[in-house]
Amino acid sequence: MNGDVVKTIEFRIRRYDPDTKKSYISTFKVPIRRGTTVLDVLNYIKENLDEKLTFRRSCRMGICGSCAVNVNGKPMLACYTQVLDLNADIITIEPLSNLPVIKDLVVDIQPFFQKFRKIRNVLIKPPESFKVQGEFIQSPEDLKKYWDLTLCTKCSICYSACPAAIDERYLGPSALSTNYRFIADSRDEGLEERLKPPADNIWLCTSCNSCTLFCPKLVNSSDAIVETRSLLVESGVVPKTVKDVLENVMRYHNPLGILQSKRMAWAEGLNVKTYPKVNRADVLFYVCCLTAFDVRHREIVRTMASIMDKLGVNYATLGIEEWCCGDHVLRMGEKGLFEMLAEHNIAVFQKFNANSIVTISPHCYNTFKNERPYKDLQLNVQHYTQFLAEAIEEGKIKPTKPYNKRVAYHDPCFLGKRNQVYDEPRRILQSIKGLELVEMRRNHESSFCCGGGGGRVWTEEAEPEKRPCIERVKEALELGVDVIAVACPLCIATLEDATKVLKAEDKIVVKDILEILKETL
Amino acid sequence: MEILAHDILIVGAGLAGLRATISAAETSNKIDIAVISKLHPIRSHSVCAQGGTAAVMNEKDSFDLHAYDTVKGADFLADQDVVEFFVRQAPKEIILLEHWGLPWSRTPEGKIDQRPFGGHSFPRACFAADMTGFYEMHTLYGKAITYENVKFYDEFFATSLIVENNAVAGLTAIDLKTGELVAFKAKAIVMATGGHERIYEFTTFSHPSTGDGMAMAYRAGAPLEDMEFVQFHPTGLVPSGVLITEGARGEGGYLINALGERFMQRYAPKMMELAPRDVVARAEQKEINEGRGFTGPYGPYIALDLTHLGEEKINERLPLIRDVAKRLGGVDPVKEPIPVRPAAHYSMGGIKANIRTETPIRGLYAAGECACYSLHGANRLGTNSTAECLVFGGVAGEEAAKYAMSTNFQEFSKERVIAEEKRIYDGILGREGDERVPQLREEMRKIMDKKVGIFRVENELKSALKEIRDIKERFRNIRVEDKSKTFNTGLTTALELDFMLDLAEVTIISALARTESRGAHSRLDYPERDDKNWLVHTLAYYTVDGPKLDYIPVTITKWQPAARKY
Repeated sequence: MNGDVVKTIEFRIRRYDPDTKKSYISTFKVPIRRGTTVLDVLNYIKENLDEKLTFRRSCRMGICGSCAVNVNGKPMLACYTQVLDLNADIITIEPLSNLPVIKDLVVDIQPFFQKFRKIRNVLIKPPESFKVQGEFIQSPEDLKKYWDLTLCTKCSICYSACPAAIDERYLGPSALSTNYRFIADSRDEGLEERLKPPADNIWLCTSCNSCTLFCPKLVNSSDAIVETRSLLVESGVVPKTVKDVLENVMRYHNPLGILQSKRMAWAEGLNVKTYPKVNRADVLFYVCCLTAFDVRHREIVRTMASIMDKLGVNYATLGIEEWCCGDHVLRMGEKGLFEMLAEHNIAVFQKFNANSIVTISPHCYNTFKNERPYKDLQLNVQHYTQFLAEAIEEGKIKPTKPYNKRVAYHDPCFLGKRNQVYDEPRRILQSIKGLELVEMRRNHESSFCCGGGGGRVWTEEAEPEKRPCIERVKEALELGVDVIAVACPLCIATLEDATKVLKAEDKIVVKDILEILKETL
Repeated sequence: MEILAHDILIVGAGLAGLRATISAAETSNKIDIAVISKLHPIRSHSVCAQGGTAAVMNEKDSFDLHAYDTVKGADFLADQDVVEFFVRQAPKEIILLEHWGLPWSRTPEGKIDQRPFGGHSFPRACFAADMTGFYEMHTLYGKAITYENVKFYDEFFATSLIVENNAVAGLTAIDLKTGELVAFKAKAIVMATGGHERIYEFTTFSHPSTGDGMAMAYRAGAPLEDMEFVQFHPTGLVPSGVLITEGARGEGGYLINALGERFMQRYAPKMMELAPRDVVARAEQKEINEGRGFTGPYGPYIALDLTHLGEEKINERLPLIRDVAKRLGGVDPVKEPIPVRPAAHYSMGGIKANIRTETPIRGLYAAGECACYSLHGANRLGTNSTAECLVFGGVAGEEAAKYAMSTNFQEFSKERVIAEEKRIYDGILGREGDERVPQLREEMRKIMDKKVGIFRVENELKSALKEIRDIKERFRNIRVEDKSKTFNTGLTTALELDFMLDLAEVTIISALARTESRGAHSRLDYPERDDKNWLVHTLAYYTVDGPKLDYIPVTITKWQPAARKY
């Protein structure tokens, strides 16, 4: 290829030598032209600088799925990525995660492909149906219903990015969305058979959305998993742990199965206004079930309340009329129950006059912002980190006491991956004196889920080393930080549990940003 | 040394290989089938097929019409019995794949939709948007893994066929993961390894399309037929060569030169942009040669203009093309034309096979692009190749299964395998010369582009032959840097080049001998078609001194050669 060299970029490539079992980094400087792809770079290195560099390649047009690698921490197809689009002067290329490395950038893809042998990848119909001469009729509208899911090239990017896939029982995003693609195909009559392979493992999905975020073909596996769960719930074939959560929500309107009358126990001694005693306030403070009921979270929510008091914010909660936002039941596929919760909460919202909603949990935040029917109300909703970052910038809050600790911030998926809120939590931490903020290897968009989303925080039954939270805490331990800072009640629950399982409580602690802030005010 | 035994080996797991696998498995669940592929099956080049698959599905269309279009497209070099058989089988394949779940694009009535394609006088390309090959592959793979008597050897690189007494006995392959040479015993082998267009520099082909199966069969004694006929696709994306489907023109796209003219007016006034590929590619090259191409940083090009089709139609019918043009060409076809020029795309030639896919070696079958039963003659029509892979893949699987059930394993000596081990590990990997494989490969590809391209002439072909033979000499003096066993892509790249050099030589020698212009073979020094002397197929046999040529007649059933106008 000709064309003018635009610039020279340094590539750091993670190598693995199977003979010596050593992993190391090789650095190459490569001239980049307009149009040069990451695969062109790998080819250039192999042909001109280091013939031993080993990687897979085939179609070079994004359709065969051979050349998926991690580029600056994110999985992508090398052939479908223009180097100049990465806007970086140093680019790191590593093999995909979650699959054993064979050599350099080549990983063993068999564990991924084995999953497809557990599902049926062809139409299921009664044998006599296939005796017809012509095609099965399918309208363009029916074709559209599953078309997007057919675009999967089986490149294994989703699998490599998936926190649940560290448990080999899990079918993985690609096989699950392929399975659902057939369920959604109007020609298929194999629903019952198709619900069997996912039934005992689909609950491992944490709804982190990484599969969908990184898919080069924009296949929405995340939604396909929810739709499949929905059919499982409908058919009544769900594990007891799942059934229990759904029943709790049905009866008590929260997943913990605690009487709603105890919902304001956290506020004891504080003068928190509640609906229906008040029916207007500037800020509606939405607490979240886990935060409200679990004593572990008490200080977090109390800190938020007292900060708002100090700021003179006129706020109130919905008191015992705050029902679960429904995020987990929605992700667990119980759409009817979600609608019931939403209907109640919306009815109360409409009776309550507030300018904005501030949530403790990224899950409530995401639900109100992005999920129908809440979404249709176009609520002015903020996560507490957004609220506090603003207050700090406006000089209304001043963390004064130093916090001399090394802290890594763990991005909650529903704040980061689903809503691109990455900076505000970091800005709060950066405003604290003495606090050394460091990044974990996987951060921002490529952050590794704690494993608590999608209902899994309630149903966890995987062996410890197959829980995402364990892997995440190990990652933080490798970094040598004192504190993992989080901004989500589920992340606290899972990661703190992991520190206990790993017997690392004396080495590392999990703290909500509010807990850290409290110590500095 | 490990020797594994299977009744049937399918080599290559693209469309033809997977279809053969299913067909063999359907023939009997008692036979033991193994699929050997240097890539995971769905990484095969077949996933790049875009525009469609030809089949007579409409009562206004007819088998004779499809057959005649194919024969005329072939510039009358196709064997007409093969063509007639093929057109009758194709519709059944479309339905089979539909029944297995392929998401064909649909008419408003919910039937399989069809679009126009170059050289076809009726819209008979069944399609799934512009990812037809991709869907066919995923559908076939999904079906193939349902059989318990099929074992997949993914990432096994076949190196040689073992033939005893002119019958197949087995083959050798490198297990890429371990680097060990494995010998396979088999009663029947189906070659389905695809084309060899990677001998060219500007090509639509995937990196691994290096014609390994053609070269292995050739070295084992099977002749290669009609290798001078290499198709250049009119719309290879500049600068990479990635395919932009003919379906883009099927949907109404224009080809424009730098003067803004739809120049096809001058070359094929009736069919315009939808004339057969040889005609359009020559027209483009002529426009470029005469200075009417656009100039760009990557050389002269032609513009493929889809802007008048509108965003909705492009998104629905050509979504991949839009994405590819944006990501790899830096243009959005909704807003601006796509820069294209002719790119090496298809080998009409291949391992000589008959209508039952049998090669002259007993027990060896060939299907898909690596084969030549002379369906495409001197020029293939678009959408006939995916159809061919399905039809003849199916035939090959069934024939191989029947043959395997009627015969026993052929014994072969361990020495044969030890000799192959020596050739690979001591010979190629052990060489300590100073020539570099990537360098030699690029030189070969440049020579082929420059001298064995769309327009050919004797002195250039002769000089190309000399240069390729020089490279073959220099290949004896290579050094593969990677000396390790595990996943040694340095070694496989060298083995592929070794295969390609043989195929380049055969291509040039066949082209040099054919002193006429027919279909994709255009000799500037012999511009006319010469039915008196050249209505024959070329056969190239391996000898230690280079290819030896022979000729056999063309089978004509209904249609006598006629002038070819579009």
